[in-house]
Amino acid sequence: MNNNEMFQFIEESFEENYELLRLEGGHSLSPQVKKLALEQVKNYWKKLRHVAENVSDTEVRLTLPQQSTPSGRPYTIQGVVDVVKEDDRTVMYDIKTQDADFVRSNKKDYEGQLNIYAHVWQSVREQELDGTSILATGETQGLRRAKQRSFLTNNDNLLEEALEEWEPEVPIDIADERIEGYLESFGVVVDKIEEHCFEAPSIEKINSKILGNKTFAVHVCRNCDARFSCDTYKEYAFNSSRVSNDFLSFYEDYGTEQERVEQIETTLEEEV
Amino acid sequence: MFNQRLTLEDLFTVHKFTPNAGQLEAIKSLNGPLFLMAGPGSGKTRVLLWRTVNAIVFQGILPEKIFLSTFTEKASKQLKDGLQTILGSVTNITGVPYDISRMYIGTVHSLCQKIIGDRRFIKERSRVKPPILLDELDQYFYINSSVFWKGIEELLVVNENEWRLDVRQYLTGMSFEFASRHDTTTLLISIFNRFSEENLQTQKIIDYAQNEDEQVLKQIARVYEWYKLKLEKSNMVDFSLLQQRAYTQLLLSDHTAYEFDHIIIDEYQDTNRIQEQLFFRLAKGSKNFCVVGDDDQALYRFRGATVENFVQFPKRTELYLQTKPKEIKLNTNYRSKNQIVSTYKQFMEKVSWIREDGRGYYRLHDKDIQPQQQDNDISVITTKPGNSESVSKEIAEFVKSLIDEKKVEDPNEIAFLFPSLKSNHVKQMKKSLEDEGISVYAPRAGRFLEVKEAKAMFGVISQIMGKPVRQDYAGAYKEYHGWLRDCEEVAKQLMVKDSRLETFVHTKKKELRRCKEDYIRLLKTVNDNDWSTTDAYHPKKHKRVLSNTPLISEQTMSGLGTGRLDKVIEERSKGLRPFTLQYILNRSTSVDWNVLDLFYRLCGFSYFSHMFKKAENGDDEGPISNLSMISEYLSRYMEQSQSMLTGARLIEDRFSNDFFGRYVYGLFRIGESEVENPETPFPKGRVSFLTIHQSKGLEFPYVILGNPGKKNSGVPRPEEIVRPLIDSENEPLSRVSEFDIMRMFYVALSRAEKGLLITNLRGQGQVVAPAFKQLLDEMNYPVASELDVSKLSNSEIKINDIPKVYSYTSDYLMYIKCPRNYMVFKKYGFVPSRSQTMLFGSLVHQTIEDIHNQIISSRSDSNE
Repeated sequence: MNNNEMFQFIEESFEENYELLRLEGGHSLSPQVKKLALEQVKNYWKKLRHVAENVSDTEVRLTLPQQSTPSGRPYTIQGVVDVVKEDDRTVMYDIKTQDADFVRSNKKDYEGQLNIYAHVWQSVREQELDGTSILATGETQGLRRAKQRSFLTNNDNLLEEALEEWEPEVPIDIADERIEGYLESFGVVVDKIEEHCFEAPSIEKINSKILGNKTFAVHVCRNCDARFSCDTYKEYAFNSSRVSNDFLSFYEDYGTEQERVEQIETTLEEEV
Repeated sequence: MFNQRLTLEDLFTVHKFTPNAGQLEAIKSLNGPLFLMAGPGSGKTRVLLWRTVNAIVFQGILPEKIFLSTFTEKASKQLKDGLQTILGSVTNITGVPYDISRMYIGTVHSLCQKIIGDRRFIKERSRVKPPILLDELDQYFYINSSVFWKGIEELLVVNENEWRLDVRQYLTGMSFEFASRHDTTTLLISIFNRFSEENLQTQKIIDYAQNEDEQVLKQIARVYEWYKLKLEKSNMVDFSLLQQRAYTQLLLSDHTAYEFDHIIIDEYQDTNRIQEQLFFRLAKGSKNFCVVGDDDQALYRFRGATVENFVQFPKRTELYLQTKPKEIKLNTNYRSKNQIVSTYKQFMEKVSWIREDGRGYYRLHDKDIQPQQQDNDISVITTKPGNSESVSKEIAEFVKSLIDEKKVEDPNEIAFLFPSLKSNHVKQMKKSLEDEGISVYAPRAGRFLEVKEAKAMFGVISQIMGKPVRQDYAGAYKEYHGWLRDCEEVAKQLMVKDSRLETFVHTKKKELRRCKEDYIRLLKTVNDNDWSTTDAYHPKKHKRVLSNTPLISEQTMSGLGTGRLDKVIEERSKGLRPFTLQYILNRSTSVDWNVLDLFYRLCGFSYFSHMFKKAENGDDEGPISNLSMISEYLSRYMEQSQSMLTGARLIEDRFSNDFFGRYVYGLFRIGESEVENPETPFPKGRVSFLTIHQSKGLEFPYVILGNPGKKNSGVPRPEEIVRPLIDSENEPLSRVSEFDIMRMFYVALSRAEKGLLITNLRGQGQVVAPAFKQLLDEMNYPVASELDVSKLSNSEIKINDIPKVYSYTSDYLMYIKCPRNYMVFKKYGFVPSRSQTMLFGSLVHQTIEDIHNQIISSRSDSNE
């Protein structure tokens, strides 16, 4: 299968999956968001072709049944990974749609996950493992900027260069002794979900920096459609003098200039 | 860890399951056809689960060789969770991994969709482009469109209005003065679907109509054929044709009969003919065909289901598979108190089910359902006989004391079941409960659009976008305008109370007016210069002139583009599809937002944000569930029409005419349908009002049967039309309605665990089923208002039969990132406008998996 055939294959199976998922879940994606999803898959193929071509087991389902929450609810943890065996080395990959910069800055969130998976793989199933990594296919700031620039200048090379520099693989260390702790915090979350505790994070949390200089509010909240009805986010936003002087500007947040132009262009493109 | 031979019994112990004799036999019977008669609450889900585990773990059946169909997505999710849990525990004991991702498990529809796209079922294993699926809403808008009706006029050379009337009269068997497009569309949809579900060939219908001189039927058949062709050309299918398409595909190659080792169908009493054919086709090779069901709980005749598929299963396996099925009864009821079980058993026997020819019964007899709880507690009660007002009051007080005396943990453990939610009695009941301070969740009581969240949201949207002018119509359109006026009223009041909301609405309105006016101005420039909007746009030629249009706003001016845009456009104009002047006009006069963006912003104003707040700590989930539904409807609208708000869409009220005049109006009309399976759990803090159909497969600690009767409207017309076209043995037409009513109430009665209240509603116009009349007379059930509520049983927190599966990524990580975001998008399923959600992740993951599988399979191909 040559590159063009692969891209065609990607587009077809993408559409097919979308229809099936829509049928199963009854929900859909807006055209703009759908386009971003397709881009991620294509970037995966462009950049991580070597991984894709060496995958020995795909969609390995790892299950840890018979867990119990602190208040006694039984539950099962499940995850899906890909495994690559190559030259006597076995690596477990977890593909994430977040961007690599974010994953790198927030490694601790993912350590639990890959540690639990590795535990199931090594200790429970008694299979070899030499390392684990996250493959973060999300659009990094670098990629987004390059996309923007190549769009402005109509120069595809910029995008190619950015893909060249992009490092989507984030290795994660394994330490079996921490498993208990990871499982315990998982159970706590299950209890909270079952008990309907869904309060937004505190204002301190959303003011904290999670990616370089970017705060949680900028990186996470501004990508959340539900932020307008969120007390914590409002408290954060109305702290700025712009918003407190003119509350309308709070609702005028449609992303960056670039994102707005793109939104218009994608939608018009589809409809022309 | 014991690596020795693991047995099924070991696994039972691990998962603390003690099957009864019938269950065990069913779990172990894997060879040949199996006829499983499962009474209410008999643990059939567990049996299905363990039977599948037995096949996979102990018989070495590959998961992809199993076809397991359930009635709802929720049921299949539960089975998948259970399988993952049990199989996961096996892997951890024996080291043998199991992967059920390629197992065929889901609703018939999703499995058909899967078959169509799966190379396993295609001759030569080539790739096919799977069809685009029209769901019920899509199908309605497709057939209800002007384009479609124009097409009918041309095809049949008829006048639309006249033909509509013919069709309406023919398909209902009644006479009318007028037929609206909506009425006729819904009737056509249901007969088309029926044709497809019966797998009828159009020619057969036409020949029959010719012989019988049924002109209208002949025309309908021609339109049906034309509709099918039209869909086929654009590679689309509706829900019913999806099954036909899958079946047709299976027939193309003999090998498809051998692809599955096990076919397992749940709720078999509610399957239709095309499904039956499909299942027997798949089972032809292995003959391991297991059906599970209960004929007494058959509910979906009006959707083409035929209970005879189940009742006559033994006969039909002999016919199609040349062998008799093994028959097993699951008749221990684990759900309900003793008295509840004996009540519904007696109820069913108040009617004679003996066949006309006297040979046997129309119902599977001798079910011998035994309650596991042999208690003597009071569990069935009634009210004093009375009219709607008095019984409602009595029941509301009773419900209040159930809650006050902590007989239930939360009001959502009490369900009101009605044959239909449209009656005045339902309104009265709701009012009486609210008078007692008890909130009701009734998303389908009347129309969805009547709920207060919908009125407020659509009201505010109409304040911004405008609404169509009410013309001189009567009937439904008038009623719709009444609704629109109510919405407006609600919105105005909200704006009075919230001055920021008012400012916001005015700002948005102004924005739209600006776009519209600038568009008109630009259009004038185009005309003044003798250009056409379809001309290719050349910045050098057009841009300056357009920018010099008098009075246009700064925003529009900058929308006309930057130097960068000009370059892109010049580049493009060399290609095949240059940008047109229309494009540049649209682009410069569009706003940055769409209706879904608007929705999320409106949610920020206190009236709506309060609803989120109430859900955040689990106080009240009703309003947020309704808001989520609205987000779904808005996103549907954006999918089927232009989502961009441009000047061109705003002039002449085009947008508001399309949005309110067509789309929301359509929702308003089809909102009358009441069959909807709630896949979300019942919101905390409220008692639920459900139709009996909605309660299928569910159970509640306390059930209030709101209406002890339903009007028997005689022979259902669709049955009458279809019967002569099919050849099979069916229940006599004259008794179909009576039987269906009995079965429906049987379902209602058997939902209750601890307590069942049968409303003794009497008075003018109230229909009471004869069976209930007798039952209430004979049994002397205690009356709610005279009962010491403390004598009733408490609801118990059920230890979840099947542990839930939680994912590290889509549950844990998503929750710790932001619990509120998890709630909005994962728990309540809001459709995002811009943010990425789970669907996004699944879509990316699955497509990447497809790449991997593609590579793995081409690797093994080249090794061969």
